[in-house]
Amino acid sequence: MTAVRAALGVVGGALLAVGGWLLLFATREGTPPRVAVWLAGAVLAHDLLLAPLVLLAGWALGRLPARPVWRGGLVVAGCLTLVALPVMLRPGPYHTSLLPLDYERSWLLAVSATALVTASIAAAGAAARRLRKKRP
Amino acid sequence: MSPTRRTVPFRFRGGLHDPRTATALGRWLGAAVLVCFVTGLVGHVLQEPPDALADRLPPRPVWGYRLTQGVHVAAGIALVPLLLAKLWTVYPRLYVRPAVRSPLHALERLSVAVLVASALLEVFLGLMNTAQWYVWPFSFRRVHWALAWVLTGSLLLHLAVKAPVIAAHWRSRSAGTRALPASGAGDRRSLLLGVGAAVGAVTAVTAGQTFAPLRPLLLLAPRHPDIGPQGLPVNRTAAAAGVTDAAVRDWRLVVDGPRPYTLTLEELAGLTQWEVELPIACVEGWSASARWGGVRLRDLLERAGAPAGARVRVVSLQRRGAYAVTEMGASYARDPLTLLALRVNGETLNRDHGHPARVIAPNRPGVLQTKWVSRLEVL
Repeated sequence: MTAVRAALGVVGGALLAVGGWLLLFATREGTPPRVAVWLAGAVLAHDLLLAPLVLLAGWALGRLPARPVWRGGLVVAGCLTLVALPVMLRPGPYHTSLLPLDYERSWLLAVSATALVTASIAAAGAAARRLRKKRP
Repeated sequence: MSPTRRTVPFRFRGGLHDPRTATALGRWLGAAVLVCFVTGLVGHVLQEPPDALADRLPPRPVWGYRLTQGVHVAAGIALVPLLLAKLWTVYPRLYVRPAVRSPLHALERLSVAVLVASALLEVFLGLMNTAQWYVWPFSFRRVHWALAWVLTGSLLLHLAVKAPVIAAHWRSRSAGTRALPASGAGDRRSLLLGVGAAVGAVTAVTAGQTFAPLRPLLLLAPRHPDIGPQGLPVNRTAAAAGVTDAAVRDWRLVVDGPRPYTLTLEELAGLTQWEVELPIACVEGWSASARWGGVRLRDLLERAGAPAGARVRVVSLQRRGAYAVTEMGASYARDPLTLLALRVNGETLNRDHGHPARVIAPNRPGVLQTKWVSRLEVL
C-alpha cells in the first residue's frame, strides 16, 4: 500500500508539474490568468448553481413512490440536456455539415424517450409490488 | 466523510454522500479520465509529433487515429454523468468544519480544488470544441493539452491521498462498506444504475458520429458522417479557408526537390492513378470512411528525385487557418496508401473537400489531411 501510494504521489506530482509548466510557459501571453479565471468560474458554476439545483431536485422528489427510478430518470434526462446544450444553443453561422441535425427535436425526443422508459419502469415496479401484496 | 457539523446553515440528510458511493463512482470516473488522457496523448503525438518521432509515426493500422480519437471523445462525453455524480456524492465535504485543520489538510483541500476545477473546465472545453463553439479567450488546443496533465496529475495525487479510504470501500464486503448503514445499499445500487444509464444514454445518442452501428441513434452529435458535400462532412469550407476561384483556376502543382517540376491538373490526372479506402477522422470525434482516388505521393516525390527517407512540406492554397503549411514525416510520405487525391467516391473532389487536390494518408488526424494542396517541398 505504502509503495503504491508513494508511486501514485510521485507520478501525480510529476504530471501536475508538467501541466503547470505547459500552462505557464507553453501558452500564449496572457493565457494563465484567463485560465485561472475560467477554472474558478467552472467551480463556482458547479458549486453554487448546478449542485444546489440537483440537491433541490432530489429534495423535491421527497418520498415519491419509486423515488430511485424517478431519480435515475432525472439523472439521464439531465445529462442528455447538458450534452445537448452546446449543439442546441451554438449561434451561427455555420456551413451545411456542422450541426446538420434538428437538435431541439433531437433533445425533445431523447428526453421524452427517457420519461417514457422511466414511467414504464416505475409502473412495472408498482405492479410487481401489488402482486406481491396479493399473494403473501 | 464525516457528517457536517451545525456550523453550516443546513445539513445533508440524504444518503449516499458516503465513501462507498464515492469509491464505486470514482473508479469509473478515474478509468474514463485515464482513457481520455492516454488517447489524447496519442492524438497529440500524431498531430504535433516531437522531431525525433516525426519520421517514424506508424501509418498502420489505418484506423488507429479514428479509434483513439473516437474513444477520446466518447469517454469525454461519458465523463459528464460520471463527474457530476461523483461531485454530488462528495459535495457535503465542501462545507466540512473546521475548513482547515492543519497545513497538510489545507494542501489536500487545495489539491482537490485543482482536481475539481481542471476536471470541470477540461470536460466543458472538450464538449464545446466538438461543436466548434469557442467562448473562451484562449487557445483551446494548448489549454486543453495543459489541463489534461494538470487533471491527470491531480487525480493520481488524489488517489494517493485517498488510497486507504478507497481500499476500505472497494467491495461491498470491505470493512469500511460494512460499517455504513446497510439500509443504504439498495438505494446506492439504484443510483449507480441511474448513472450507468446516463452514461449509456449520452453515448448512444452521440457515438454514431464515428461508430457506425450506433448511427440510427445519432441525435445529439455535432456531425453526421453521411451529411456534407458528396456525403462526407467538412470541417473547413473553401470559403472559410479563403480559397478563391482565381486561385483554383490558375492552380498548378509545384513539386520542389532535387529535380523540381510543375504539373497542371490534366497532367496530374494523366499519371498512374490509385484508389484507396481510408477514413477521415477529426479531432472533434467524428469520422467517415471514403474511397479516395489520385496519385501516390511517393510517386510524385520520386519523380522529383527525393531520397527515400525524405520529409515533405505540404503547402495549401488556403489563406486562413493554422494548418495552411504542414509537414509530413517520411513514414507517411513513402506509404503506398498516401495519396494526393483528386477524387472521392468516384467523383471529382468538391471544392470543400479540397479540389483540385488534397492529401489523404492513413492513421492521421483530419487537420493534417491538407486540402487545396498547391506545393510539395522535399525537405
